[in-house]
Amino acid sequence: MENSCDEDYRIQSFDMETQDLLKTTLKDPSSVDLKEVSKIIVDHSLKDRAFSKEAGHICCNIVQVEAQQTSSSVFRYNLLNCLQEQFEAREETRKRSVQEWVCYVTFICNIFDYLKVNNMPMLVLVNPVYDCLFRLAQADSLLNEEEVDCLVVQLHRIGEQLEKMNGQRMDKLFDLLRDGFLLQEGLSSMSRLLLLEILEFRAGGWSLSNSAHQYYYSEVAD
Amino acid sequence: MSFRHRSRHYDDRRTDDSRSNRGASRWSHCRKRGADGNLRPQDDPNFTVFDDAEKGVKSLRHPDSRPASFTTPESAGPVSRCADWGSEVEQEEIRSGVRRDMQRYRRRILAGDFNERERKTSSGSSDSRDSPIPAEMETDEVVLMRRQKQINYGKNTLAYDRYIQEVPKHLRQPGIHPRTPNKFKKYSRRSWDQQIKLWRVKLHAWDPPVQEGSDLQAIEEIDLDEIMEIESGTGNSVESGATVQCPKASKGSMTIPEDSCSGTPSKVMKTEAAFDLEMCLNEVEDSSKSLGL
Repeated sequence: MENSCDEDYRIQSFDMETQDLLKTTLKDPSSVDLKEVSKIIVDHSLKDRAFSKEAGHICCNIVQVEAQQTSSSVFRYNLLNCLQEQFEAREETRKRSVQEWVCYVTFICNIFDYLKVNNMPMLVLVNPVYDCLFRLAQADSLLNEEEVDCLVVQLHRIGEQLEKMNGQRMDKLFDLLRDGFLLQEGLSSMSRLLLLEILEFRAGGWSLSNSAHQYYYSEVAD
Repeated sequence: MSFRHRSRHYDDRRTDDSRSNRGASRWSHCRKRGADGNLRPQDDPNFTVFDDAEKGVKSLRHPDSRPASFTTPESAGPVSRCADWGSEVEQEEIRSGVRRDMQRYRRRILAGDFNERERKTSSGSSDSRDSPIPAEMETDEVVLMRRQKQINYGKNTLAYDRYIQEVPKHLRQPGIHPRTPNKFKKYSRRSWDQQIKLWRVKLHAWDPPVQEGSDLQAIEEIDLDEIMEIESGTGNSVESGATVQCPKASKGSMTIPEDSCSGTPSKVMKTEAAFDLEMCLNEVEDSSKSLGL
């Protein structure tokens, strides 16, 4: 049970004390300082790529447990405000460390994906997520494979949902991606590949045709 | 209950200053948690849940010329200016809950579900507004959200929890057991607020028992302060920003400390009489056709 908890939530990268705190939170949220827990989670997600990819899962569960046990949403409230603080400081974060910036985008998209409100995505996150993706589509970011990779991964995961929430912005985003693909000098071939794939992916209604899938994902037989 | 004065529009706010800025009231510790969901510490001055609800209204008085609310192409209705994501999501949750309830309610009306229950609870009131015809349903989201928050406020109590555990729905008797006011019925602001008030008062009968020797056992009157605060949007306002978080949530025992609320049923009944609430209650029972819980 303990082990699966670690794997499910990827909390192995936390120190033991924090792991215990998180496990306690999942069992008895009213016994911990949820504001502190939310801060710990957000801070850690900036440092740990693997965690940021799946942090939404543990957050979602904490929210559910808290709602069931105490009918409150303290954790979610604090988590979102923490997220907002980081969002407002994203440009500084990016300057300081592209990796942290990429982790942040991964994290916020993950939260958008997992944390639903009455079965709908949180409206308040839609524009901030778009803002992040737009930033990733800027010229200077396209030159970093890391950022391009992050961009396409997030679009794969939540692109369809995002488009439903705001189609216009998605259109504009893809205009940028087309421009980037066509005009951006200095793009690595990997970046071009990633961009081409996401263009086809969306054009196919957020899925790849069989032949395209073959092209991009099959092992190449020499 | 008849009201000579109807509020001019639904969002008319009371400006009764004597009711704002109350300190901690006797009943504040019966509330499990505050506006933002934080568990409330014992000595926390009571703050209202309506700061969010009233935000839309508050910002009408905002000094700068920004509109109080705006509609974006994506949102289906007005969006009040919430500074932080945390509060915004709380609003979203209430809004989507209200919309879902509305759909459900409409379906129930159209399915004719209400007819039998209406006949049982009706005592011949001629108030035509109480019939659940869809055209006469309250649909203004601002109003519905405000009402939902008031309801949440009442359901967010230990008394309510104990009540619903003790008395299952099918055993509830009108007049004896409190019923949640039906937010979809058309009522004036005053009528609604009064129903909520009385509902909350009745719920106090299920407050957890108090220890012997506590000061609160010596109450002579029901303290309606806590209920009055519902009307004041200004008092003890909780800014949705940073400072609301209650780190004491970590101490958070869900159970109210033993020496907090009093309010055994007998006390409540006695004091109700002292306040002529019986009279009000009778009137409300006649006219109130709450169909929800």
